[in-house]
Formats: sequence, C-alpha cells, structure tokens
Amino acid sequence: MTAVAQTMQPRSRPGVGVRVWSFARRHALTVYALLVVGYLMLPIAVVILFSFNDPKGRFNYIWEGFTFDNWIEWDSVLGLRDAVVLSLEIGLLATLIATALGTLMALGIVRHQFRGRGATNILVFLPMSTPEIVLGASLLTLFLNMTSVFALGFWTIFIAHVMFIVSFIVVTVKARLIGFDRHLEEAAMDLGANEWTTFRKVTLPLLAPGMVAAALLGFALSIDDFVITYFNSGGDQTFPVFVWGIARVAVPPQVNVVASAIFLIAIALALANVFSQYRSAKRTQGAT
Amino acid sequence: MGSFLHRHKGLTPYLLLSPGILWLGIFFVIPLGFLGYQSLQSGIFPTFEFTWEFANFTNAISDYHEQLLRSFVYAGIATAACLVLAYPLVYWIAFRAGPWRNLFLLAIVAPFFVTYLVRTLAWLNILADEGPAVGLLRNIHILGEDGRLLATTFAVVSGITYNFFPFMALPLYVSLEQIDPRLLEAAKDLYASSTQAFLRVTLPLSAPGIVAGTLLTFIPAAGDFINAQLLGTPKQQMIGNVIQAKFLTSLDYPTAASLSFILMAAILGALLVYARAVGSERLTG
Amino acid sequence: MNPRMTRDELLRRGAAAGVLLGFPSLLAACGGGNGGGGGGEVLDVLNFSNWPFYMDVQGKKHPTLDQFTAETGIKVNYFEDVNSNDEYFAKVQGRLSQGDGIGRDILVATDNSRFPALYVEQGWVQELDKERIPNFSNLIDAQASPPFDPERKYSLPWLSGMDGIAWNEDVTGPVTSVTQLLEDTELKGKITVFSEMSDTLGLVLLDNGDDPAAVTDEAFDRALQRIQDAVDSGQIRRFTGNDYVQPLSNGDLAASIAWSGDIASALADSPKLKWAIPEKGGIIWTDNMLIPLGGSVPTASEYMNFVYDPKIAAQIAVGTSYISAVKGVKEEAVKIDPDSASNPLIFPDDETLSQVHFNDPAMINNEDYITRWQQVQGQ
Repeated sequence: MTAVAQTMQPRSRPGVGVRVWSFARRHALTVYALLVVGYLMLPIAVVILFSFNDPKGRFNYIWEGFTFDNWIEWDSVLGLRDAVVLSLEIGLLATLIATALGTLMALGIVRHQFRGRGATNILVFLPMSTPEIVLGASLLTLFLNMTSVFALGFWTIFIAHVMFIVSFIVVTVKARLIGFDRHLEEAAMDLGANEWTTFRKVTLPLLAPGMVAAALLGFALSIDDFVITYFNSGGDQTFPVFVWGIARVAVPPQVNVVASAIFLIAIALALANVFSQYRSAKRTQGAT
Repeated sequence: MGSFLHRHKGLTPYLLLSPGILWLGIFFVIPLGFLGYQSLQSGIFPTFEFTWEFANFTNAISDYHEQLLRSFVYAGIATAACLVLAYPLVYWIAFRAGPWRNLFLLAIVAPFFVTYLVRTLAWLNILADEGPAVGLLRNIHILGEDGRLLATTFAVVSGITYNFFPFMALPLYVSLEQIDPRLLEAAKDLYASSTQAFLRVTLPLSAPGIVAGTLLTFIPAAGDFINAQLLGTPKQQMIGNVIQAKFLTSLDYPTAASLSFILMAAILGALLVYARAVGSERLTG
Repeated sequence: MNPRMTRDELLRRGAAAGVLLGFPSLLAACGGGNGGGGGGEVLDVLNFSNWPFYMDVQGKKHPTLDQFTAETGIKVNYFEDVNSNDEYFAKVQGRLSQGDGIGRDILVATDNSRFPALYVEQGWVQELDKERIPNFSNLIDAQASPPFDPERKYSLPWLSGMDGIAWNEDVTGPVTSVTQLLEDTELKGKITVFSEMSDTLGLVLLDNGDDPAAVTDEAFDRALQRIQDAVDSGQIRRFTGNDYVQPLSNGDLAASIAWSGDIASALADSPKLKWAIPEKGGIIWTDNMLIPLGGSVPTASEYMNFVYDPKIAAQIAVGTSYISAVKGVKEEAVKIDPDSASNPLIFPDDETLSQVHFNDPAMINNEDYITRWQQVQGQ
C-alpha cells in the first residue's frame, strides 16, 4: 500500500486559479440552467401570485392584499364559467375525434405502401407549417361563403380544432409506430386471430400509450388555441378568446385563477406521469 | 370485418386514410381554395365580385412590404435568440442533469400550460413602466430616465422568444438526448479538448434537432400578431396584425386573403431555401 | 368654421346628413329575419350587449338592472363585450348575414362608426315595438332623426358621450389641446389615441380648424398627416380601444384621447385622472340600442321603455357620467346627486354643446379613408 501511495504522490496539485476556473466552468452551466428556468417561470409566478390579489378597483396590477376569495368565487365574472366549460368541451371532443382520425392515418401511412404516400405526408405536414392566422382566416372564409351550412359557433370551433390537431397526432403516433415491434402481431395471427381481432387485442393496446401522448398534446393545443378560434368562434367564447376580450378592459383576478388552475392540474398530471415512470422503472429494476 | 379486409388488402390504406384526408381536404384544402378565390375578388364589404384581381397581390406587397419584412426579421431574431438561450440549457439537461432531468424538462414545458394570452399579459405587468423591472434598469442606468421596456421592439421580440421557447428546446433535447455519450468519450480518448469534442461531435449530431427546432419556432413566429398587438407600437406591427385588421376591422377580405397567401408563399420559400441548405429528408420525416 | 351648436342645430344637421344616408336606410325595410319578431311574448330573460363602464354600478351590482328585474320579473344577462364597434360587428356579422340570432336581444353601436348604418341597411336589426315604449315621447328632439334611422324605427339612444383628452396628474400637468398631445416632447411615447377614425381624426380636424362634420379630402389629408407624424416620431405609443384606461391609470401613459365618462368610472382606482374638452373643441357621439335578428322585440322594447323613464335615465347618467337623451333627466338627477346634475359634461348646457361637434357620415364610410387610417396604425 505505502509503495503505491509513494508512487502516487509526485503529481502536483493544480494551482488555485485553475481550480477556481474549472469549478466555475463546471457549475456555470448549472447556474445558467437555473437562471433560464427562472426566466421561464417568472410570468407564471406572477400570474399565480396575482390570482390571490385583492384589488381595490377593477385593475389587477398592484398588490393590495392576499385573499382566497378569487379562488372560491372564481366564476363570479360573467362569461368566465361558460368560456371555461366551452374550452373543455371543445378540447375533449376535438381531441377524441382528431386522435381517432390521426391514428388511422398514421397506421395507413406507416404500414402500407401505396400510391400518393408522399403526397399524403405533405398534406399532413402542411397545416403544421401554415401560420395559424392563415388557417383561421381561410377557414373563416369557407364558413362565411357557406353560411347556409355552417353557423359560426361551437361546431365551427370544433371543426377548426380537429383540423389543426390532426397533423400533430399523426406525427406523434407515426413516431411510435415506426419503432413498433410487429412480432407480437405476427404471433397473434399465427395463433389464429384474424387481422381485425389482432388489431383490437394486440395492436391497439400496445399503441395506447402513444395515442394517449398524442391526445394529451392535442388537448393542450386545443385548450390554448387563440388565433384560429378567434376567427371562427362567432360570439361563443373559449377561455383564451374570453381573456382577449376582457384584457381590453381589465383582467380580473379570476382569470388568473383559472389559468393557474389549468397550470397546476397539468403540472400535477405531468409529475404523476414522471413519478409512475420512475416507479415502474424501479420495479423492473427490482425484479431483476 | 376481418375477412373483408383480408380480401381487399389493397383497399386498407385508403380506408384508413380516408376519414383524415377527407377532413383535411374539406377543412384545410378547400378553405385555402376559397381564400384564393377571395384574393382575386374586388369590391367593398359586403359586395365582393370575382374579377381576377391580381392587382390585389401587387398592391398588398407594395403597401405592406414593411410589415412582411419586419415579421421575418422579428421571427428570425426570436428564433436565433431561442436557439442561443435554449442550447446550453438543453445541453445541461441532457448531459449533466442526471436524476433531475425530467423535472427540468417539465420546467421548459410548464409555461405552455398557462394560456398564451395570460403569459403575455403577465409580461405587461412585469415590464410596466412603473414596475420593478424598469425601475431596476433605470437605477443602474441601462435605461434612460424616461426609458421603457414596453411598447418597444425589444418587448415584442422578447415576447415572441419567450412564447416559442419550448418549440426550440424540445426538439433540441430529443436530438441531444440521443447522442451516445460513448462517442464523446471516444473523442476525449483521441485527445480532443472539451471544446473540440463539442464542436466536432455534439454540435453536428444535434443538427437535426437544430433544424427541427428552428422550423417549429420560425414558422408560427412569422405569423404571430398577439405579441405585437399587446407589446408594441404601430412601428412594430407585423404582417399578422395587418391580416387580422383587414379581416376583422376593415372588412377588406380580398386584400386580407392575398396577404395570407403572400405570407404562406414567403414562408414556403424560406423553407425551400432552408431545406436545400440542410437536406430535405429531415423536414417531412 | 364651427357654428354654435344649439339643440336646433343638432336637429338641422341631422336632417341634412340624413339625405346622404337616408337612401340606404330605405332598403332596410326588407329586414325580417327569423323568430323572436315583433308580435311575440315578453320573455323572462333579456340578453344585453354593451360597452364596459356603461351602466350604473354599485360594488358588483347594477342597481337599475336589479330594479328592472324587480319591476318586471325579467332577468337581465348583462354582457360588457363590446370593446370596439368593428370587432363586435366582425363577431356577429357571420350569423346575422344568415338571418340567425346572436344570442342577444339588445346590442349597442356608436353613430360615429359605420355600423349602425350597416346593421340597418343589411336588415340585420328588427323594428322596435313602439306600442310597448310609451316613454318614447321622452326622447329629446335633437335625437329624433339620426342619419342612419331617420324615423327611429330600429334604434333608441343609450347614452351620448364626448371625446376629449384625459391625463394622469401624477405624470403630467394638464394637457389641454390636441397639439400638446401630439407634439409636446415631454409626453413622447406616453400617449395613446383611439383606433376609431372618427374619434381621433375628429379631434385633429378640429385642432386644424377644419369642420369634422363636413370633411374634404384636403382636410382629411392634413389631419392624417399629423397623426402619421406623431406615429413616426414615437409620440403615439399605441392606438387603443377601451384598453387605454389601465395603462393611463398605472402611469404607463401620461395622457390619452378619452371618453368623457370613462375617467369618472375609473376614479375609484385612480383619483389622479382628469378629463377635459380640448381647446379647439371635442366630438360628441351617441351609442344606440338596436335589436338584432333573433332577439326578442317585446322584451327588448320593455327594457327600452324602462330606461326612458327620466328617473331611471337619471340614475344611469349619474352612474356612468355620460349624457342621457331623455327629456327631464336633469331635474331628476338633481334629486339624486346635485353635484353631477350641475356638471356640464354630464348634463351639458348650451355652452358645452357649442364646443362639441358631430362626425361626417361620409368620412366614416369612405373606404379609401378607412384603408389609409389602418395603414397609419401599421395595419
């Protein structure tokens, strides 16, 4: 032992300057990361903070006092509750339909060779690369030119949302399908299942997590959409459209409450997801 | 059902695709057709007539080229800013964060969960003339006595940068995360310094992420109007503001429609140039 | 030049301008639309779309609305969702053009925008049920025959107001003229003007010595150029609708073109706000109640009759600090709030009326002007 220790010794310790520099370099990136995260979180913190504000008049930009009233009476602002309900309804319905359509499309594109595959890919890609304002405005043009068929309102918002969500669903599910292990399906068919049964009992369940991820993305896009909805909503208001309208006058703290609530629920779900992944990883680790 | 599909194997893809294609066809392609039709109309609300009015396009460009150019400049700056800001953060998350990685990814995406408008309005609060941010900057003389942050180009571009940050960060992360750390080890073994390893291994391997992120950020940013509306003056108005005003305020649908196409064409043009430079398979993927 | 504006003058000018727009209003006869028409029942709910800060308020309630409900049993859903005439129009025109209702029984539009005329011309509003509005006779003579509705078949004034200049005392001294607003370098980057052409250019025309009620191309060019210069120099921060009040309140702005009653309503938040008619004159406009297609004419008419009772009208005028078009309102107001009653901005005397002017309907409807006005805003 001592012989080894003696041969180890001649290496001199690096100078202080170098040590400080490498310390800084190693941690600079961490500090930077934390700063950027702080920057990202700042507006959110402000939003949540001011949801607890008790403003004297109608303007909510100076801290007056802490209150839970806004959270308890969150729907005391006329139109807010209806807007939130509409956003949720559209979100759920549009996501459902878009996920169905998008998954079918993804299956078709990935698993089959057919003429027009390239063109289909382009068609799916185009809405994602078109500015929202063009999507919204062109759809409005359609609706205004066919006023006998389409009345601006719930269904036009629904149609618009499905339209722009579908592309995202296709791309997400495609990514999952490409890495999909087909052996399980082949095994099922070897055991006598026909294609439809295989699809129902093997493919779909395995695809489910991917579909759920895509659906969540679609739902988030729908809830948050302002521009396309603004053009096509007529007088109905989703939450973002409501915020735009009321921001012209004064944003009441109840709007902060709703925005904070959506945020917290989303974070909770995401954390739960992370946690469950962590747990299942641990379990598989423990099993081995 | 199963036997039907079995017998008509060739039909399957078309069956799978048809609902989606139908939806996109009716509600994406046809509206664009209508928009095209409208862009060649002339007249005053509410009576428009189809008159092959190609002049709409030339007039629109000559009247609003300033806003068009400005949109691309702002979007470009914001995209570059996003890239510069996000890359080190994402690098850290991919290589140094360890067990905290998912948490920080969540932090990147989190702003997305607060409605776009509410986030932007929060900046109105933070950057207010009589607020803490401006006060601080005036005290340390970065801003003049009467300086302000709101209603400036800085505010608008910052707003765009902030709002589209996750669109840059996430694709970057995906590609950085896929880099096999052993490649970096190999580089180090071959006597590369950290900088060299980064420039010659990490950076090139993250190129797909950079491309994806740039696209996903630039395209929506070019068409944005909310940041300019809330955070800018008439001198910061972007083409999105013009289109919105033409549709909803002036009720000048032909000009609005032609501007929409010009914007789309400009973006597609920029896309083509970018694809040439970068290799087109990366795009549609 | 600007002749003295007496009430007679208002009527005469109204009639003269009526020739310009009387023709289109005749086309309005083919109104109609679906359901909820004249000969229906009074419903138990009224849906009313209005501008913000435009109803008497006490805490979170509107006393006159509650009174209406108490007297008639009709519940009022009051929506403060009109933020600008054009945005509102854009929201509803799709459905109205189909003959469909918009979920409202009463909407409000300003006469110095092109929209009341458009609504009537297109047949998107329904005729009032005058039999349910005996208080119709309380309408002041000056408002009896506006250009867009010469026989008052479709509309009744809600409130009138004036365009002037508001300033925040904490930030600046009094801003008394449009010239000061647009050119005083102390105010650079801290002022806003309205995005509505008639409001902003009306004031600039007056400041130039031109007549806003009879606008020539040269006068328009001159006025527009002044605004363009103010934009280019960075003097004007933004063009706003209602959204000037908060930044003016919190000191982001020093002064704005503002509506007379807004400032009074904002005083609870900011006692430092002041308002005045500019040196060279202000603009006066009137918001009108209209019944859109699909709205319930009987219910809306009942409400209109209710607010044309001088006692109620006085409460609304005092509560909003805007000008009522109902006869006898000043006498009632003295009983409620003598200070307001003697305020010439809420109950204008002839002298105040002489300082304010109408907008020219021809300017408002001129497509070329509209386009160039949008371009000055960068849009």
